[in-house]
Amino acid sequence: MPQAGPIAIEEPSTSTALAPPWNVIVYNDPINLMSYVTLVFQRVFGYPRAKAECLMLEVHTQGRSLVWSGGQEQAEHYVHQLHGYQLLAQMEKAPA
Amino acid sequence: MIPLRLEVVNEKTVQLTGLDPLVADCLQRLAEILAHRDAPAARHRLSPKPSADAAFNAEWEQFVAPDLHHLFVSAAETVLRDLTALETDPQQPNVFRVAFPTVHRDAWMSAINQARLILSAQFHVTDQAMERRDLDPRRATDVALVRIHLLGWVLEMLVNFGETEAGQPGPATD
Repeated sequence: MPQAGPIAIEEPSTSTALAPPWNVIVYNDPINLMSYVTLVFQRVFGYPRAKAECLMLEVHTQGRSLVWSGGQEQAEHYVHQLHGYQLLAQMEKAPA
Repeated sequence: MIPLRLEVVNEKTVQLTGLDPLVADCLQRLAEILAHRDAPAARHRLSPKPSADAAFNAEWEQFVAPDLHHLFVSAAETVLRDLTALETDPQQPNVFRVAFPTVHRDAWMSAINQARLILSAQFHVTDQAMERRDLDPRRATDVALVRIHLLGWVLEMLVNFGETEAGQPGPATD
């Protein structure tokens, strides 16, 4: 029976740097109701009402709000949903 | 002023009541307003660019925008069908009401919001214009502003109806 020798274990690659996240931005418009925008943030992101209201107010007062950050595919999904609710939303790569 | 209300009729039906003639007229004009959905200004507003990347936006326009367009058209068709039931309230002269399935609430929110956005795009409505109170019914822009406000009133009613903390009865749409 052959002796079991040491087994060379290949080191896993450590070059898998995380891709930079994508930001989902919602822009203000004069028409969408504040209550409607709050409802949409609750529905799309599952945010509690207080957080949804806070983000809505940021959109209203600052003209835009970063409402979510994460992977590209999920960002696309959220922008799609926000457009479905007729909000002005865009995705952009977060600054490195 | 007639109190506008959204009432539960039974477990499957709600009813908008207390619609004064001006609001009822706005609802009856939804088809006419929504017919402008594909005019350049309205289309630009209802299909905003999803990013600053031209190539990505072109793909979006080709593959995603048609899906959104279909969603908007479908919601509008649902509401226009429901609106055939708009009637005078037998209890109150010159007051209107309309009953529709509770599950159509989202379609109503979508169609009414589409109409408000289409009018705003058509008449280049700004923040300042939305604050104006000196509206002149002889001016088309001011008539559009009145309609945006009246439809907003109905939309507010729909938004606030039966909302839970999560914004909807089921889980978030992930």
